[in-house]
Amino acid sequence: MVDLFLTAFLLAFVALGIRRPFLWVLAYLYVDILAPQKISWMILSKVPVSMIVWMAAFGGWLLVDAKEHSRFTLRQVLLVLLLLWCGYTTLMADFPGDAVNKWSWVWKALLFAIFLPLTLRTRLRLEAAVLVMVLTVGAIIISGGMKTAMGGGGYGFLKLFVNDNSGLYEGSIISCVAIAVIPLIVWLMKHGTIFPPEWRVKTFAIALIFACCLMPVGTQARTGLLCIGLLGVLSLRTVKRRFLYLTLIGTLALVSVPFLPDSFRARMSTIENHQADESASTRIQVWQWTWDYVKDKPMGGGFFAYLGNKISYKTVKKDDSGGMTSIETQQITDQGRAYHSSYFEMLGEQGWPGFVLWALLQLSGLWQMERLRRRWLKRTGPGEQWQAPLATALQHAQLIYLLGSLFVGIAFQPFILMLIGLQCGLWSYLRRVEQPVGARLRAKPGPGLTPSGLKPLKPVDAAL
Amino acid sequence: MVDNFALLLIHGLLALAGWRLMLRDDLDADPAPSPASTGEGESTRESRPRG
Repeated sequence: MVDLFLTAFLLAFVALGIRRPFLWVLAYLYVDILAPQKISWMILSKVPVSMIVWMAAFGGWLLVDAKEHSRFTLRQVLLVLLLLWCGYTTLMADFPGDAVNKWSWVWKALLFAIFLPLTLRTRLRLEAAVLVMVLTVGAIIISGGMKTAMGGGGYGFLKLFVNDNSGLYEGSIISCVAIAVIPLIVWLMKHGTIFPPEWRVKTFAIALIFACCLMPVGTQARTGLLCIGLLGVLSLRTVKRRFLYLTLIGTLALVSVPFLPDSFRARMSTIENHQADESASTRIQVWQWTWDYVKDKPMGGGFFAYLGNKISYKTVKKDDSGGMTSIETQQITDQGRAYHSSYFEMLGEQGWPGFVLWALLQLSGLWQMERLRRRWLKRTGPGEQWQAPLATALQHAQLIYLLGSLFVGIAFQPFILMLIGLQCGLWSYLRRVEQPVGARLRAKPGPGLTPSGLKPLKPVDAAL
Repeated sequence: MVDNFALLLIHGLLALAGWRLMLRDDLDADPAPSPASTGEGESTRESRPRG
């Protein structure tokens, strides 16, 4: 039944694209985020859905869409360079077979991030892309949030649509992404035109934000809790009544603590007491190993280079039960442990060149969104209210991702690359719509033009 | 049950969004700026003969 439903939906959405081919780009966003072919067991799972929708999206743009406003930005050049560099390191990889596996989806995600901004030529297209991304990831979040509220959560236990622990269906990744999309949900709630602000939209948005906040509880991913903390701090930049906001947040945090499951509180306490935790101890050792590894191989070892690591470490566990304190030390040897950090993932796999390209891509995004925010923040004209909040939302989403990236290996997560594509699209779009006025003002006064570049007014009296 | 509810809700909203987008011309081209927002309208108004 679900299979038929998903197939019918996708066919209907693709059919709508015949009239508006941009809808095929949205269909690709949907397919890449939700992976309906993984949820389905019959029709969709046997068809190369992703490839078909990609060909429709790219073909529609290439053959039908207007291209006069499509611009290739500097950050897209960075993405191209990163793509080429990843291709090179895959050829030189320590573990060629495994590296090719990761390369098979990384190149597609990078290529789509390069392509997406070319299609985002209008304000409505930008909004539509944000909406489809938020709604699609919202399906996973609503399901996870409801199960958490009903007591079905737990580290590694929360069952989402797909149980293969890959992509957005991995606990730490979805909890980081769920928090990162909250600023975008708020933007859609206030500035949406597809679903304009009204009580039903606001109710849905608030419920979705609540579900987002439940994801770190349901997955018991510590990263998510840190991301919520950062979101709280970042929101101080945008809220009008800061004191009221802080009071509300503080009260909400205090009230929610008794409702949190014991297992969640126990796991979160290991953020402080990381020595007792195997997962946290492993990370520090793997990061040390990676640092030493790039000293020997500054060009990186290609995807899955971490398979070559062998680490040995001690965990220290303190037990205060029964009025006595006992300390238990355990020696653990492990090998082939993943990076659990995007920064070290880039460093180990892509070496310094890849790391620098990736860091430039991220930093330039933060800088561009800040510039847009400042340029549009004080404008009060009609149609000039949505730009600064969208730039801010995309910047905050990226900052939350960058914090989550400290502890999760999501350097090439397609959803995040889509966010980067959105940033490039917004930057390119706003520069274009601003250009006519700016260019006119900068233009040298020619014959019949005033220094401002505008045609002189006809003398009113002469026209009488 | 929960999964089906989430899928049904989100796909319903996506379908509605797709339908609304298909009907909007500003999906493929931004509407031309109104004369008032470009400043040119003011010059037109100013240049119009009075009386």
